[in-house]
Amino acid sequence: MGTAVEISTRKVLSASRPGNGLRFARAAGKRCLELVLLLVTLSTLLFFLLRASGDPAVTLAGADADAETVQAIRVAYGFDRPLFVQYLSYMSHLARGDFGLSLANSEPAMKAVLWAMPATVSLALLAMLLTVVIASPIGAWLGAAPDRPERRATAVILYILQGTPGFVVALVLIQIFAVQAGWLPAIGRSGLASWVLPTVSLSLFLAPKLARVLAANVGEAFKEDYVRTARAAGAGEGQILVRHVLPNALLGSIALVGSQFAFLLGGVVVIETIFAWPGLGRLLVQSTLSLDFPVVQAAALAVAVLVFAAGMLTDLLFLAADPRLRTQGDA
Amino acid sequence: MRRAPVELLAGLAILIVLLAVAFTKPGAFAQAGAIDLLNRLSAPGTEGRLVGSDQLGRDLLARIVAGAPWSLGVAAGATSLAVVLGVTLGLAAAEGSKWTRSAILQVANLALSFPGLVAAVAAVAVLGQGAVTLILVLGLLSWALFARVVYAEALAVRTRDYVVAARIGGVRSPTILWRHVLPALTPSLIAMTVFHFADMLVAASALSFLGVGAPLGAPAWGAMLAESRPYLYQAPWLLAGPAVALAATVLALNLMGDGLAKLLSPSNAGRRR
Repeated sequence: MGTAVEISTRKVLSASRPGNGLRFARAAGKRCLELVLLLVTLSTLLFFLLRASGDPAVTLAGADADAETVQAIRVAYGFDRPLFVQYLSYMSHLARGDFGLSLANSEPAMKAVLWAMPATVSLALLAMLLTVVIASPIGAWLGAAPDRPERRATAVILYILQGTPGFVVALVLIQIFAVQAGWLPAIGRSGLASWVLPTVSLSLFLAPKLARVLAANVGEAFKEDYVRTARAAGAGEGQILVRHVLPNALLGSIALVGSQFAFLLGGVVVIETIFAWPGLGRLLVQSTLSLDFPVVQAAALAVAVLVFAAGMLTDLLFLAADPRLRTQGDA
Repeated sequence: MRRAPVELLAGLAILIVLLAVAFTKPGAFAQAGAIDLLNRLSAPGTEGRLVGSDQLGRDLLARIVAGAPWSLGVAAGATSLAVVLGVTLGLAAAEGSKWTRSAILQVANLALSFPGLVAAVAAVAVLGQGAVTLILVLGLLSWALFARVVYAEALAVRTRDYVVAARIGGVRSPTILWRHVLPALTPSLIAMTVFHFADMLVAASALSFLGVGAPLGAPAWGAMLAESRPYLYQAPWLLAGPAVALAATVLALNLMGDGLAKLLSPSNAGRRR
């Protein structure tokens, strides 16, 4: 997913060359068009997958429903109409923001999704913040002198951590801090303490990669001319690191941070399920397991919009963070 | 012959250790399903139970070993599907007409702009569980990674003199792609395939963990991790066993991927994604 963000960034960058306000607007328009295309494709796929997997009335009614119930559902949902007519009516309902009623509680499917969204977004924001806070000092420390023995050892540990799947990290943390030590709640969202394990699990999974990329960027930045100039002008090593090297290294990591944030919005499915976190991912898994298709659809589309928004936000962050990319035409 | 990079050797060493454990445990495969209710949840180190036993008294190590073919098989299937689709479509995009190219690249963009795990959960919900579904879903969701890299590299290779010479000489497009373009791409493809295999292993395990991957009772590592949760306090080894197996395999694969990338193209060292 990293490449996706990098390439889209380049798209925006190329659109912001001097005096090209029009091209920037065109690029933004193109992104919006892509979002619409993505949503249409996704909902179309979900529609036909559901139809292709068998009689949806039977699926919706459940395995042990009798023939009358199935027929009643078939008529109620309009499954007796031609497929194409069904598709058009389905799409026109979606276009009006009508995702149908949840089969579990007969409430609008979007209501459950909107209720779950803040939990996912706030967890993602907090985890991203913690990831940057953990990774920045480690990355700077590693990159400043990567060949010292204790830093080589740290790099090996980071490498191992980076490869360990996030849900394994979460399970191990639960085992240590919730089950054996009993310091923190293992599941649910009640009180401040319940935020610790989910946030730390996600950050421990993401931070090693960010730290490694930052370390590489810091190492590169130390070789740049502006560092030599600063050194010649008598700046101390600490000042060079904080004032000159770190900002540039962070700038080079924005694409990774963006793709990690997109991952947090879409990929926390497993972590939310482990911690019984009342967010989008758990909603998606639960509605999947209970065959609550309207909610599956609404949740999947919501995740798509969130991830897309994260990509756009990354592009904007790039423009805001790097003065070289801003031009008079766009300002 | 270049000296083998240290990453490759380390990865191979871990892999050999894992295989040695798998094969020196006598009768491990046969006993995997043997239920022994008298010896439920026995701790690691009790006689004959190197890694302990699970909630039904089955030998944990034997079950982990028996789970390897399922987990690794799904990962291998999904990776093969992704590589074949991605390479074919990537080459087609590089060689085809303008319309083919933009169609393929647009579809690839769509496939990449959506979080795979979410799509996989939704798709498994509709298509049902099982190894074949999982392979199809994971493969169809991840081919675009390969398509994009193959497309970008093939574009560059296509303009090289030997390819142009072949074209002038009247060699047809499919032959050019197969004989002249594809071999130039193999070094980066090999490393990428190893990384992808590790990613697919994690994804398949995560889906099985959620209960939307492996069918009930299958000894998949993800499913074993999920089953261990009610026994977290009494029997932490039920978590540690499959977790170590999964993490060690992924580590070995990542190391080998990095090592191969260095070995095959020294200018292109390091993991690029």
